[in-house]
Formats: sequence, C-alpha cells, structure tokens
Amino acid sequence: MNEALRLEHIYFGYEEDLDTLIDVSFSVKKGDYVTLIGHNGSGKSTLAKIISFLLNPNSGKIFINEEEINSNDENKLKNIRKIIGIVFQNPDNQFIGSTVEDDIAFGLENRNTDVKKMKELVYEYAKKVNMDKFLNKEPSELSGGQKQRVAIAGILALNLKIIIFDEATSMLDPEGVEDIKRLIFEMREKDPTLTFISITHDIEEAYLSDYCIVLNKGKILKEGKPFEVFQNEELISSTGLDIPFVLKVKNALKDNGIEISENIKTIDELGEYICKLK
Amino acid sequence: MSNIFGKFTHYNTIIHKCDPRIKIFGLILIMVICFLPYGNNYMNQLLILAVLGLFIFLTMIIAKINFLDLFKSLKMIWFMAIFLLIINVFIPYGNNEHPMIIFSNGYTLYWEGLLNTFMVLFRLILMIALTMILTSTTSPMDITYGFEWFMMPLKLIKFPTQVVAMTMSLALRFIPTLLEEANRIMKAQKSRGVDYQHGFLMKKLKSITTLIIPLLISCFSISDDLSLAMEARGYDPYSKRSRYRILKFSHYDLIVIIVLLLIVSFFIFIAVISNHYGINIIETLFPLTKGVTF
Repeated sequence: MNEALRLEHIYFGYEEDLDTLIDVSFSVKKGDYVTLIGHNGSGKSTLAKIISFLLNPNSGKIFINEEEINSNDENKLKNIRKIIGIVFQNPDNQFIGSTVEDDIAFGLENRNTDVKKMKELVYEYAKKVNMDKFLNKEPSELSGGQKQRVAIAGILALNLKIIIFDEATSMLDPEGVEDIKRLIFEMREKDPTLTFISITHDIEEAYLSDYCIVLNKGKILKEGKPFEVFQNEELISSTGLDIPFVLKVKNALKDNGIEISENIKTIDELGEYICKLK
Repeated sequence: MSNIFGKFTHYNTIIHKCDPRIKIFGLILIMVICFLPYGNNYMNQLLILAVLGLFIFLTMIIAKINFLDLFKSLKMIWFMAIFLLIINVFIPYGNNEHPMIIFSNGYTLYWEGLLNTFMVLFRLILMIALTMILTSTTSPMDITYGFEWFMMPLKLIKFPTQVVAMTMSLALRFIPTLLEEANRIMKAQKSRGVDYQHGFLMKKLKSITTLIIPLLISCFSISDDLSLAMEARGYDPYSKRSRYRILKFSHYDLIVIIVLLLIVSFFIFIAVISNHYGINIIETLFPLTKGVTF
C-alpha cells in the first residue's frame, strides 16, 4: 500500500451545463509533497474540496489508501475526516473558536480527545506556529497571517495523514511562509508517510515539490516531476503561469553549454554549484 | 457584541474569575429584582432602585468596566425613551393625582406619567449595565457553556442543546467579523460616492440598500466557508464531543453566590414589606419625609 490517494475520471460542475472539472485522474504516493498549480478559475480549489470530501463529484471514483470511498457512506466519511484535513485560504471564515486556543481545540473536541491531552496538543501546535503567546487572543486581535497560523495549527494538531493547503500560506509574510515550510519539513521527517497536497500560485514552491499537477480549464494539462513539468516552457506559459527562476537560470546556462543537474532546485544550491565551476 | 453590550476584556478580578453559570444566574435574579414592585411611593421606589444601582455600579468598578462604554450603549434606548414618554404621559392610566399641564379642553398630563417613564428607563439602564457586566467579564465561549448548562434539563426531551449552544457561540463569534465586514463595505461604497449621512429618510434608506445587499451576500459566503471548515475538522452536531474548557466552581464562586443571595433576599424582603405590609422604607428611615407623597 504505497498510494495515499487516487482519483479516477472525476467530473464536476457547480451547475449542470458548467464543467468545472473534466476527467481528472491522478494518484498521489504516500509521503509525497504534491503541488497543484493553475491560473485562477482552473478548478484547483474545487478539486481540493472534492479530495477532502466536502463536495461530491458528479461522477468518478476516489480512493484513499487504495480503498474506494463512497461519499454517501457516513461512517466511512467520519473515518476519512481522521485521515484528510484541509486549510482554506481565508483565515477569517475558518476561525471557529472565540480564542486562539479554542480554535485549535475545535477539531480535537470533535474527536472526543481527552482534556489533558487536548491542552498539551493545543499548546504544542500553537508553539509550533509561533502562536503560543496569543492563546487567549480573540480573532479580532490578530492579523490575517496570525489567524492563518492558527488555522494551520488546528489542522496539524489532528495528526492527519493527508493534509491539503488551499493557498493556505498566501496570507503569510515570507518569514511566516518559511516557518510553515520548516514545520512541514519537520513533520514529514517525523512521519515519512505524511502526504501534503498544496494548491498554490507559488511556482518556486511547485518546483521544490515531489510531484506537480498543472490544471487548466478544469483538465489536467501536465503532471509529473516538477523538472519534467516545467521543461515545456511554452505549454506552461500558455496557461498564464511562469517558469521558476532557478529553472530559467539553468536553461540560460544550458544554452551556453553548462549542463546543471536536475537535483539542483534552489537558488542557494545553484549559487554554490556555479561558484564551484570557477 | 463589542459595540452593543461591552467587549470581553481579560482582567484578573473576582467577577472575571467567577463561574459563568453564576453570572448568568445572578444576572437573571437581579433583573427580576429590578422589576419587582416596591410599593406605590415613587420616592420609596427610587431609593430602592438607587441602592440596587449603587450595587451594580460597584460591581462595574470591581470588574474594571469602562463607564464610557455604558453611556455609549445608552444611545440605543433614546428611541425607547421617547416612545415610553409618549405612552406614559399622553395616555394616562392608574391613580394620577398630580396634574402637570391642564389643557383648555380638560385633557390633563400628570407628573405620575413622567415619573413612570423615568422609573422604567432607570430599570432599563440597570439591565443594560447588568448585561454589560456579564459580557465584559465573560468570554463568549463561557457564556455559551453557561447557557448550555442551564439548558441541560432539555436534553431529557431530546432537545439538541449542543446545537443551540454551537449556534450561539458562532453567532457571538461572528458579530465582530460582520461589523468589520459592514464597515469595509461602507467604506468601499463611500469611496464610490454613496452618502450614508446626508439627505432625507428615503435617500438614506436607498443608500442603506447598497450596504445591506453586499453584506447579505458576504454573510452567505462566510457561512458557506465556515460550514466547510467545520466539516473539514470533523464537526458532527450529534456526535459525542469532549470539552476544552470545563466549568468548575471555585471558592470565589461560593463567595459570589453568598453575596448574591444575601442581596437578592434583602430586596425581596423590601418588596414584600413595601407591598404587603405597606411599610414605607423612606419614611421609616427618614421620619421627616412623612407626608411627602411622591
């Protein structure tokens, strides 16, 4: 069992004659960091809601851990909520509790977690997202980025196996994004089977992921290792997306006869490599 | 909530530390006391309500509640004050003995009407102050837990108390968000030339629609997102849920409940002796006032 998630021929439309998703099929390996990219209105967020069973597809099958999940089976759905979680883009509309600690505890309360354990988890995850000093604060006293950290902590505290970030870091400042990336890295190191699906406009993030899926007008345009996906510059540009900066530099160097390994993904690694060439 | 009855602020006072269930119970008891009949003598009633008012204001001082907030929230009762004044002064009822103005056609306005209005308004102010004590010293979540505890007997008839409590807590939680949203929409509409301040009633009503419609759409969008977020975190209203906050009685609560019961008993005693035995407290305390009928 190496597959965390598989989608087969998913079709979805908010209205009968409107196709938001057309024949979407892909699979995600356990422990992978997958990015879903595409222009606005390409169907990324809809797909995220379908994967997290918040929307039912018009047709198609969804498999979690190689088991088909029927969205009408309430018991299975309850179990799925213990496996999959999603963090949305707007932090205001997903802040359920009246304070930071109440909000982080909300999901744990739903799981009937023991109070003592719950208090420990709330503090632990609030600390992980640097919100431990704001436990008593109300949402009106927090910035957008802080609220988003709370939402992320609320999902991470649930010890899920598949976590979906629907542009969850878009409201954070660069330092905040780095903190979350570091946290995800730590969590994946601790549990190598933990799967992340990130819906993002950040091309650099997509380039660093294990697997990348490009959506265009509700269809999968391209999928694969980021290096392969971004190789076809013309195709990527036709969807309104950009090419990662590192890849641009690598391609420019390649044009000048300097071949650079596909394992080099960050600007730091590239800089180090170029310096060694001297 | 914050703009209506007082925003919850963390302080380390005995009122803040007090169990929300006792605060809710106390609020209801004192509200009842406010409206108890204290005889027919207005001076007597006024003295008793003034003592009650003093107790409430002392509680506000202990709870470090800003009096300015109370005055701000009194703005809301202006309309009611005018309405009550019209009802009480222009439509006289009961034993009116002290004419204020006698019109040429014999129609008379009485001082009693004015005093009745004043008494009702005074009681309303005390009620607002009491509510402010509750909301300023208790977090919305604790208020919800408190109400849910009082609704517990309804579980026997399978009334979904937990759903009502969650609805209440979400309503309380989203009041500031919606106020913020309304503010944002107003600013956006003002920047497009909508004038909310000037013009006659019809013009003002028309401009209000430019606020109401986007606000409604926004409300639906927020509730949609919220329900998805709750579902994603496994919320099922009918499943067993644990509690992050558990209400516990402490020694502070014991002190508060004893003080509360003493005060309530005192006022009930006064009401009984004023009504059933016709004892006038003000005349008993200050014999010189004998014969003053108001």
